[in-house]
Amino acid sequence: MEPDREDESFVKPGLFLVAFLAFSSLAVLHAQDTPPGILVSRQLAASEGLTVGSIVRLSIDAAGTHAKEFTIVGIYEPTPDPAQLGVVPREVRLHLPDLLDLTRPAASVAGTEFVSSINVALVHPDDAEGFSRDVNARMPGILARPSSEAAGSAGPFKVLERFHLAIAVVTIMASTVFLLALTMMLVDERRETVGVLRLIGLPARRVLLQVLIEGALVAGVGAAFGLVLAVLSEGLINAFFQWRYDTALVFVRVTKDVALTSVAIAVPLGTSATVAASWALLRRGGLRLARR
Amino acid sequence: MKVNDNAAHAVVDARGVSRVFAMPAGPVVAVREVTLQICGGDHVAVRGPSGCGKSTLLHILGCVDAPSSGTLLFDNQDVSGLSDARRSRLRLRHIGFVFQRFFLLPMLTASENVELPLSEAGVGKKERQQRTRELLEYVGLASRADHRPSQLSGGEMQRVAIARALANRPRLLLADEPTGELDESTGAQIATLLDRVNRDGTALVIVTHDSTLASRAARVLLMRDGRIEGEQRR
Amino acid sequence: MRALGFAARSLVRQPARATLGILGVAAVGALLFDMLLLSQGLLVSMRDLLEHSGWDIRVSAGDLPGRGPRVQNSLEVARRIAALPLVRSTLRVRMADAQIDRPSSTPIRAAFEGVSALSTTGADMHPPWTVTRGREARGPHEVVIDDRIAAALGVGPGGTITLRASCVSDRESLPPVRVDVAGIAEFPFAVSDEDAIGGTFEALQTACSGNVGDDADLLLVTSTGDSNETAAAIRTAVPDLRAMTNAEVVGRLQQTGFSYFRQISTVLTTVTVSFAVLLITVLLTVSVNQRLGEIAALRALGFSRSRVVADVLSESALIVGSGGLLSLPLGLLLASVLDRILKDMPGIPVELHFFVFESEALTIHIVLLVATAIIAALYPMRIVSTLPIAATLRAEVMD
Repeated sequence: MEPDREDESFVKPGLFLVAFLAFSSLAVLHAQDTPPGILVSRQLAASEGLTVGSIVRLSIDAAGTHAKEFTIVGIYEPTPDPAQLGVVPREVRLHLPDLLDLTRPAASVAGTEFVSSINVALVHPDDAEGFSRDVNARMPGILARPSSEAAGSAGPFKVLERFHLAIAVVTIMASTVFLLALTMMLVDERRETVGVLRLIGLPARRVLLQVLIEGALVAGVGAAFGLVLAVLSEGLINAFFQWRYDTALVFVRVTKDVALTSVAIAVPLGTSATVAASWALLRRGGLRLARR
Repeated sequence: MKVNDNAAHAVVDARGVSRVFAMPAGPVVAVREVTLQICGGDHVAVRGPSGCGKSTLLHILGCVDAPSSGTLLFDNQDVSGLSDARRSRLRLRHIGFVFQRFFLLPMLTASENVELPLSEAGVGKKERQQRTRELLEYVGLASRADHRPSQLSGGEMQRVAIARALANRPRLLLADEPTGELDESTGAQIATLLDRVNRDGTALVIVTHDSTLASRAARVLLMRDGRIEGEQRR
Repeated sequence: MRALGFAARSLVRQPARATLGILGVAAVGALLFDMLLLSQGLLVSMRDLLEHSGWDIRVSAGDLPGRGPRVQNSLEVARRIAALPLVRSTLRVRMADAQIDRPSSTPIRAAFEGVSALSTTGADMHPPWTVTRGREARGPHEVVIDDRIAAALGVGPGGTITLRASCVSDRESLPPVRVDVAGIAEFPFAVSDEDAIGGTFEALQTACSGNVGDDADLLLVTSTGDSNETAAAIRTAVPDLRAMTNAEVVGRLQQTGFSYFRQISTVLTTVTVSFAVLLITVLLTVSVNQRLGEIAALRALGFSRSRVVADVLSESALIVGSGGLLSLPLGLLLASVLDRILKDMPGIPVELHFFVFESEALTIHIVLLVATAIIAALYPMRIVSTLPIAATLRAEVMD
């Protein structure tokens, strides 16, 4: 039996509406079934074999109390923390409501939880100090401070800076001794030449000037070579330690300031070592110098 | 004082020895097929123009340098097959060297310089000191035993060098231009001393430009272009 | 004259050069020695500190005792642990941030340690501090304080202090509480930038206005026998928590926070040894090159190859040996300076040292110096051993 032609005009739109409603209901049901999204650190993903799309269960204890399911929607590289060097960052990031939901004690009422801190981005960042003072004055029990003052965690690195400086001072002192020994030997090699120059009438000052220029040249070239070496080894050292600790931290950085300081120390040191070694030599007579 | 009891057989027997130096511009033949015998008690001078191979020949005779070809016998022993250690031992005990530039160790006193070869030869302390005193007396420097080379004149330094060379009673003393850096009168004193060493039994070979020194030798070898062209005997 | 005597005379020949060489080795050797002390210093010091504390197992919820999440239901956990036959005593430790009021000045920041002991064996227990004056704190209104707080406030046993403590979060603000000072104590695990107060759990409750709960930061345990067996038993009894023996704590620290110092000590050890080798090699090479004529003459006189090589090696040994001897007192002096710098690091216990003398470090130092002397002498030894005697004598004459 064929359908009635008059019914066709009513049935088609009706069918479409039912299909639409069915599809919408399915979509809502799907949203409710999909666990909330989380991010996991690269290191955690690698160690547990997790990928984007994996469904995991998170709980606040190893027994799995009140465990909830989450979907991994992304894998991130954690910001390297120098204070956590050597610790593999197995981290998870959740939306705050999900975290509070997961960690809330059973007896607590939602909305009575606490957070460790609240980050605030100001329209005018220069107002940070004034803003902090305002908040502290109006909200006792709260401590607000500009991010630039959160340098408590930089304390270890200030100490390490002093430590490295002390090591550098000792290294420079040892290098100076070496440098003096080397320049004395180099100058001694040329004592006959210097003796002959003195014998033919060149004043000590003239010879010293020549020595000064030579010393400055050698020191300059040496410093430049040292810088090149430093830049090359910077890459090697960073590559090694980044591999060793599986981190993106930068361990050595040759900045413009560092380069300038190194040259500012090396060139005068090298020049004055040569002059000092030569001065001792020039105090002897030309005849004595020229004799073997 | 006799420093050595010699036998009149060949101390050194060089047979057709040659020495070739490989140079970037091509090989240089410093010594060409030289045959030569030095017997116990011989006093030989080697003369010739600069670059004729005199010093090279001296080095070969003293086992300091090995010939490129030919045979060198020392006390009838072929030295070519000897290891470096054994050749050193041979030089230490049987050959003495005196150099133009003295080569005294500046940080040691005169007596310490003379004592060095004795110490290296393993001679006991007492005997070393005794022998050193004798040698310094022999060369006329007993009063300068504790002086460093910088405190000695050229002639005195050379005398210390001769004493050092005689330390282990060598059978052969080789001197390369021993008066080269000395004035005439000092050179004559050294020549007199070397004569005495030879009279006391040590075979002596001297390379020299100094005609006065050469004239004191019983045999004078004339070298040119690496060959011994002639020999004069007195 | 033996090689060593000969070498000594050769060095004296150039006194300035020899002195500089020795001083250079001394400076570099001092740094080398310090790096060797540093490489194990923290671990040795921490191990000593842990073992002297009198507690041989630490139980916590996180990776490292005292860091990370707290042990929940700690009283129940402590009872379960204390009931184990291998356990002699258990101590719950809860830490809080405190501020002590100071008239007309900024408050003193301090760490408040509240402890509660449990022992089923009747054994004596002692808290993680040692009373030096007065007596132990008892009850909810008594505390012991460290020397620095006592000096800053001019307070001794029998005095009182006013403090505010935060037990729940870092940024609580609670009303001040007055407590009695029962005694002055030493806190071996107190950190350098923070003073320390100790008391019972009840005293901590008082300070935090009852806001403590049943959590503990750490449980300290002493065992009746082998600590490894006891730790294993604790892990079975409370599988959610981490029980670490002192050795395991040190091992964990070795992998994490302390590894930086081992790495830097390795790097600097390599650099200093290379430096010293380079210096001595250059010194000896130049010295040998200036004496080639003499060496050739000695060889011509009958000195063996091994003898002239031994002379060079002896020179190297003398320079490195003299410099090495000098480097020890220098190194100890430098270590005390560096230790003082590093101890300023926040979070480091006051009793912890970075540079600790160990005979093993001294042995390694000596071995490295010996290796330096040998390696540095290799090139100049090669020069003298391959010296062409005749050619050198000729060259000297021509010069």
